[in-house]
Amino acid sequence: MTGKRLELPGYLLLAVFGVIAPLVFPAYVQQIAMLWIMIVFALTWDTMGGQMGYNSLGNIFFFGAGMYIAAVCQIWPWYDVGEYTDPSGSLTTSFTTDQYFLGLALGVVLAAIGSVVLAALFGLIVFGLRGPYFAIGTLGMAIAAGELIGAWDWIGGGGGIRLPVFPSGTDAEPLFRVPFGDIQSADLQGVFFYWTCFVLAVLTFLFLRWLYRTRFGLMLNAIRDDETKAEALGVRTQLYKTVAWSISAFFLGISGALFGNIIGFMEPLEVAFPTVTFGIFMVLMALLGGKGTLWGPVIGATLFHIIKEVTWTHLLGWQWVVLGLLIVVTVVFFQQGIVGWLQERRPEWFGIEVDRGTAGQRADAEAAEALEAALDDAGGPAREPVR
Amino acid sequence: MLKHCSPATAVAAAAIAAVIAAPASAKVEGDTIVLGSALSETGKYSTNGIHAKNGYNIAIDLINKTGGVKVGGKSYKLRVIYYDDESTPARGAQLAERLIRQDGVKYMLGPYSSGLTKAIAPVTEKYRIPMVEAEGASRSLFTKGYKYLFAVLSTSEQYLASAIQLAAEIADKAGKKRKDVKIAMAFENDPFSLDVRAGVIDDIKRLGMTVVIDDRLPRDLSDMTATLTKVRALKPDLLVVSGHSKGAATAARQIKELKIATPMIAMTHCESAKVVSKFGASVDGFLCPTQWAETLSYKGKYFGSAADFDKKFKATFSGYKTVPYQSAQAAAAVLVWKEAFERANSFDKEKVREAIASTEMTTFYGRIKFSKAGNNIAKPMVLRQIQDGNYVVVAPSKWASHKVQHPRKVQ
Repeated sequence: MTGKRLELPGYLLLAVFGVIAPLVFPAYVQQIAMLWIMIVFALTWDTMGGQMGYNSLGNIFFFGAGMYIAAVCQIWPWYDVGEYTDPSGSLTTSFTTDQYFLGLALGVVLAAIGSVVLAALFGLIVFGLRGPYFAIGTLGMAIAAGELIGAWDWIGGGGGIRLPVFPSGTDAEPLFRVPFGDIQSADLQGVFFYWTCFVLAVLTFLFLRWLYRTRFGLMLNAIRDDETKAEALGVRTQLYKTVAWSISAFFLGISGALFGNIIGFMEPLEVAFPTVTFGIFMVLMALLGGKGTLWGPVIGATLFHIIKEVTWTHLLGWQWVVLGLLIVVTVVFFQQGIVGWLQERRPEWFGIEVDRGTAGQRADAEAAEALEAALDDAGGPAREPVR
Repeated sequence: MLKHCSPATAVAAAAIAAVIAAPASAKVEGDTIVLGSALSETGKYSTNGIHAKNGYNIAIDLINKTGGVKVGGKSYKLRVIYYDDESTPARGAQLAERLIRQDGVKYMLGPYSSGLTKAIAPVTEKYRIPMVEAEGASRSLFTKGYKYLFAVLSTSEQYLASAIQLAAEIADKAGKKRKDVKIAMAFENDPFSLDVRAGVIDDIKRLGMTVVIDDRLPRDLSDMTATLTKVRALKPDLLVVSGHSKGAATAARQIKELKIATPMIAMTHCESAKVVSKFGASVDGFLCPTQWAETLSYKGKYFGSAADFDKKFKATFSGYKTVPYQSAQAAAAVLVWKEAFERANSFDKEKVREAIASTEMTTFYGRIKFSKAGNNIAKPMVLRQIQDGNYVVVAPSKWASHKVQHPRKVQ
């Protein structure tokens, strides 16, 4: 149980970083907020791909669905959505502070619920598929969603939706003075969404941490390891799969609602259903960190986000090559990801007790005897079994 | 038991390291004024993103070589921090935030396309950073009360207005009823083209003509045979296409391949798609709206006349047979900044904003004067026709150098 004893300072450090970062590095608030969203991406993908062994390429669907549900909820109580999104932009709009936050709260809640409902519905269809068919099926679902939304004029079609503007003041004086810069009222939007993203990531992590330790978590692993056998043993696999997907969808829907408001403008293909960017990133981050582990997605997302933010803007035109290289290196050399690799090398760090007491030792002894017997038969020298 | 840091510790340490590593700089460094821009260098808008970047750079070069920007009796050079927005609004908004918060940029140049401008304008507005943009034409940008957004170009509803007007005039002359004029429309499903479409529909309604095809085309358009097959069957009098450079290139290619015989074809982005050099005589007779043309008699303090700019641009960058208006207007946006700094005689962004708002200048790109909403109201769109491989202005009549050829010769 060493891992547990060392986990606490880690949690504390991360929590302290999360809390003080927006105060110490006000200029980086949005990038760190994106980091939390990336962590949610990787964690929720891992619930499916890592714990349950269903490699979904379409999880981004719930991100986009959440974003659109939230946007509609933010506009619809006060304006006609069709007029609001009209491409000629003739409607002038303004939202009061109350309207904004009420709409946002409603949007986030309904985005979460709506995504869960969609997951349950689509689960009926796609969970008939397994392996690569499931991956392609879900990918198709996300792409189709983007195209369909793009053809739906009421919510702006391909022209997208401009979200209500965060009610920030116009004072020129900074609101707070902090060590590395001031927080202006213009930064309030960034700070607000930083906190919501941070809380979302923490809740997602804690929830999944709890979930993986329950019987439910074991059922997911059983489905991953051998679905047919699990079914034969009486595990209601369809139910577990649907619930797991709904859990992913719940958190992804919220992340979409928040992301849309951080960016302030959304349209179906590149912002809401970006299958080739975020949709692939979430898989890559989980693989990089180590799929099927709790910490793997967190580490993978952090590393990936840092690589992306530090190098991409300085490697104009080469960023996709870097991404491709990262995928190749991960898939070829790091199949278990960073945490998976560490877990194998240093199981004791993770509180995993490699059982050498009974079964392990007995197996070792049997192997040694067999080897000795074989060597004796061959008339060679008896050697210590290599272990 | 072993003492090692847990994964959580490693994550936190790595995140802190990453945050500290990035540099920060200021708006004016020594004798250099730093502008910032997120431009599409990769992705579906990269062709036009690069045209725009070339436009920014040629103007910056010219200013830096001819005495720079004079503020408070001192001469300053201009420099731009560019980031690649990958043609996605989500990235564009994040990069704008990064330019303003981390690089300390106080003066922005616009991105390419209406979609990206829609994503970036709220950010610059939030931080009250003036942005002079040259590539976001969507009308809806100028109905939101943005105070820090200025655009040197004409808004999107004007793009195809003269082509529709021309179709009505031709019908009148031929004694044809206006409601018998059949129009086929194919618009890319993106913020810019949908806005152009909204303008076209208003015009068609006003003139009482009939729409026979109204197709939405996917982004990054590489096939529109379905629409063109319908065009062959329904024989419209006018075919209207809008879909950035890629869309124009695809349309021109397939119109040639399928031998579409529509007498009148109007499409945006002919120049930036380089349709003449790619498809030769088959594009003769196409009507192409343009923000600017090298044959116009515009003249200004910098670059001289429109023709001079054309010559200089072709000499500086290779591979251009026709200079796309995207480059010309990008250069004009830089000129607006220079004049504004000098008139404000200050680096205070509020004073500079005031100076931009009161801009009234004549350039090689046309006149520039901003409305209260920030769009340029002093410069018309012109409609050009490709005649014998050359772009000639056919409308509006004030600028027309040639008569429109109708019907176009199908080759």
